[in-house]
Amino acid sequence: MRGLHFAGLLSIVAGLALWEFLSRVVVANALFLAAPTQIFGAIYRLALGGQLGAHIAISAAEFAIGYAIASLLGIALGFVMASSEVGKKILQPWIAGLYATPTIALAPLFILWLGIGIWSKVLVVIFLVLFPVTINTEAGLRTTSARLIEMLRSFGATPRQIFFKLSLPSALPFILAGLKLGIGRGLIGVVVAELFGSRAGLGRLISQSADAFNMPELFAGVVILAVAGIVLTAGFTWLERVLVPWTRD
Amino acid sequence: MAKLSLNALSKRFGRLEVLREINVAIERGAFISLVGPSGCGKTTLLRIVAGLEPATSGAVLLDGRNVGAPGGDRGFVFQSDNLLPWRTVFDNAIIGPEIAGRAGAAAKDRIRQLLRLVGLEGFENYFPRQLSGGMRQRVNLARALAIDPDILLMDEPFSALDAQTREIMQTELMRIWEEGRKTVLFVTHQIDEAVFLSDRVLVLGRRPGRIREAIDIALPRPRALVVKRAPEFVAYVDRVWRLIEDDVRASVIEERA
Repeated sequence: MRGLHFAGLLSIVAGLALWEFLSRVVVANALFLAAPTQIFGAIYRLALGGQLGAHIAISAAEFAIGYAIASLLGIALGFVMASSEVGKKILQPWIAGLYATPTIALAPLFILWLGIGIWSKVLVVIFLVLFPVTINTEAGLRTTSARLIEMLRSFGATPRQIFFKLSLPSALPFILAGLKLGIGRGLIGVVVAELFGSRAGLGRLISQSADAFNMPELFAGVVILAVAGIVLTAGFTWLERVLVPWTRD
Repeated sequence: MAKLSLNALSKRFGRLEVLREINVAIERGAFISLVGPSGCGKTTLLRIVAGLEPATSGAVLLDGRNVGAPGGDRGFVFQSDNLLPWRTVFDNAIIGPEIAGRAGAAAKDRIRQLLRLVGLEGFENYFPRQLSGGMRQRVNLARALAIDPDILLMDEPFSALDAQTREIMQTELMRIWEEGRKTVLFVTHQIDEAVFLSDRVLVLGRRPGRIREAIDIALPRPRALVVKRAPEFVAYVDRVWRLIEDDVRASVIEERA
C-alpha cells in the first residue's frame, strides 16, 4: 500500500519535472506553455494581492448554492419518479431530454435573463447537476431488492416501513454516486458560464488572463479548479466510506 | 386441535396448477419436513402459509384461526439469508420486533439471548459481509425466532451452504429446536436432511403438487449425526427416495429440455 502511494507521488513529481523541462527548454516561450514554477508563482502573487481569494469566493458561492439546490431538488424529483408511475411518465421525457442536452450552451441566455452576477451561474450549475442526481436517485430507489422487500413483508412491514428501512438506505449509494457525478459537471458549469460574462470568479480570471496572454495566470485558474475538483471528489469518497460502508468490496 | 391445518389448499398460477387439494394437520411442537422434486410446489406451499402468496382455494388455519396476511405468529427463515447489509447482526436480528413497534429493552435482552443460542455471541456488532454463509444463516434463524412465532417456516435454509457446514447447521438447528420445541415446517430437497430433522416427512409429488405420503420418522431424540449411518435411517431415506425418484427423473429431463 505504501509502495503504491509512493508510485503515485513519483508519477506526479516526474510529470511536473517533465512539464517544467518542456516549457523552459523545448517550448521556451511562456506565451505557449507556462512552467509549473511560473504557475505557482502566479498563484502566489494573485493570492498575496487578494484577487485570487475574491475570485475563488465568487465561484465557490455560485457552485455551492447551485449544487445545494440541485441536490435537494434532484433527490426530491427522483423520489417522485420512483414512487409514482404518473410522476415518472410526466417527468421522464424532460429529465432524459435535458440530461442529454448540453444545457451549458444556454448560459448566454441565462445571463441575459439574470444578469452577469452570480445567479445566472447558479442556474447553469443547477441545470448541470440536477439530472444526474435525479436519475441516480430514481434508479437507486427502483433497484430495491425484491428478496429483501419480501423479507420485510414476512414481518408484516407497511409500505412506509419498507421505504424507510429498505428502499432509502439501499438507494443511498446511488444517490451519492449521482452527487459525485454532479461535482465535476457543476465546476465546469461555473467556469464556462463565467467565461460567457461575469464580473469575478475563476472563469473570469481565466478569460482575463487569456485576453492578456498571461498564461501563468490562466493556468493558475485551471490549477485551482483542478484542486477543487480533486478535493471535493476525495471528500465524497470519504463520505461514501462513512455512510455506505457495505458497498465496499 | 392441530397447531396448523391446511384444508384443501390449492394454488394455480394462471393455467399452471401448482398445488392440488393439500390437506395437512400438524400438532404443536412437531418438526415437519416437506420434500419433493423441484417444481413440486413445496416453496409455494410454505409461502402460502407465511401469507406471502394467496391460495387459490382452501384455507390455512393456525390454532383454528384463518390466517391470510403475514403476521408475527409465523416466522420465516429464508433460503438466502436476506440480511440488510447496512445493519449489524444485532440490528438485523431485531428487525421483526422493530417493525411491530416492540423493540424495547425486553426485546433487546431477548435478541442477546437468541444470538447466544444460535452461537453468535460476540458477533453482535459484525456486519453481514464479515460473516460466513453458515453464520449468516444463524442470523436468519435468530431473526425469525426473535418475534417468538407460534410456528417456524423454513425454506431450504441450508441449501446454499457447503456439505460440512450444512451438517453442522442441522445439528445446531436440532439443538435449538430441542430448547424451544417450536412447531416447524421445513422445506428441503435433501432427503437425508428431512429424515434427520423431522418427526414426519411429507413427500410431495409434482405437477400438480400433492401429498403422496406422510412418513413418521420414529428415530429417538435427541439425534446425533451418527444416526445418519444407522440402518433405520438409511431405510427411511431409501423409502422417501423411491417415492420421488420417478418425479425427480422427470423434472431433470424437463429442465434439460
